Amino acid sequence: MNGTYQLIPLLDARPGMVLGEVLRDDHGNVLLAQGVVLTEGMLASLGRHGVEVLPILGASPAVPPADPAEVQDRLDRIFRRHERGNHGDWATGILRQYVEDFRLQREIAP
Amino acid sequence: MNKLTSAQLVQGVQDLPSLPAVVMELLSSIEQENIDISVLAKKVSYDQALTAKTLRLANSSSFGLQVKVATIQQAITFLGFQTTRNLITTAAVTGCFPSGLCPGFHDKAFWRHSIATAACARSLARRLRFNQDVAFTAGLLHDIGRLVLVTGHPQAYAEVLAWRAKEDAEWQDAERAVLGVDHVEAGVALAEHWNFSDTMRQAIAWHHAPETPGAGFLAAIVHVANAVVHALDLAGEDDELVPTLSSIAWDAMGLNEEAYLDLFRETEQQLEEMSAILMA
Repeated sequence: MNGTYQLIPLLDARPGMVLGEVLRDDHGNVLLAQGVVLTEGMLASLGRHGVEVLPILGASPAVPPADPAEVQDRLDRIFRRHERGNHGDWATGILRQYVEDFRLQREIAP
Repeated sequence: MNKLTSAQLVQGVQDLPSLPAVVMELLSSIEQENIDISVLAKKVSYDQALTAKTLRLANSSSFGLQVKVATIQQAITFLGFQTTRNLITTAAVTGCFPSGLCPGFHDKAFWRHSIATAACARSLARRLRFNQDVAFTAGLLHDIGRLVLVTGHPQAYAEVLAWRAKEDAEWQDAERAVLGVDHVEAGVALAEHWNFSDTMRQAIAWHHAPETPGAGFLAAIVHVANAVVHALDLAGEDDELVPTLSSIAWDAMGLNEEAYLDLFRETEQQLEEMSAILMA
């Protein structure tokens, strides 16, 4: 792997993120290999091993969080052909809601 | 603009740059299990550029290998034949079309969309216990007809771009209005020329109309993956437009919101990594 990685706190790590470097415990034992795609289970287990930061591939905390109003404007633009609440187009409506939840990082009901 | 005839379309397909012979062999045998793997691995390894790209893909995090593979044979051992074949095809197809032929056509955005759709279709297939490799290839190639049109008729396609920008229309409508044929027909013509399997051809033919009787489940997977990738705005096109999602295809996936949010994350991650390798 030759991508750049950033150290990010375990609490901010999410499933799907990719390890940019091999991860070891305090004794030098390998916990996870470079390039592993993190899962919920792994994140929970890393907490138990006392890991506090993770080398995440491509993570760039330097980028400020997107402005929610701008995100919403852009979503409205790319979904411009789909009216909200059009029952004949309900599948696109659900996809739009999911993508909004994803981009605006809304909590979703489990 | 004179409309294209089907003879011109077929001629355009025949004039396309051809894929390495070994890749043609792979494409036409995509659903066959009984192929002599060692002969194939050897043939691929004669093409150094293709081998290098394939191995970089195999070693990318999308495939979760704990060891690095250094040869095609090793990739087959660790990833399986189907997946390796898939990667070889991907590496070959993404490198075989000339870019920059048609002003205003964004080759990079085209490939970002195709690679993201491939990754998304593969992730969907995993959740639905469908063949992931077939889904990946179908996702990668679903819009390949656009490249057929752009490569064979670059000037005419520039008019398609202008028409679409003016009318804010879907690609298919713009292509039909200007050329008289669309990228679906061109894709099917290429699929025939390249000897794709019937399943793959069906997926290309029906990815905009997955509710058509006989379209097949793969067409539904590609249809949903395509809409998801447009909705995630991943290609980098200013005038991105989300197509209408077929409620029948959406229902056929049967996934909840949590699964889709995971799918979105996976698609974004894999796109960045794969496009760095494939568009280097």
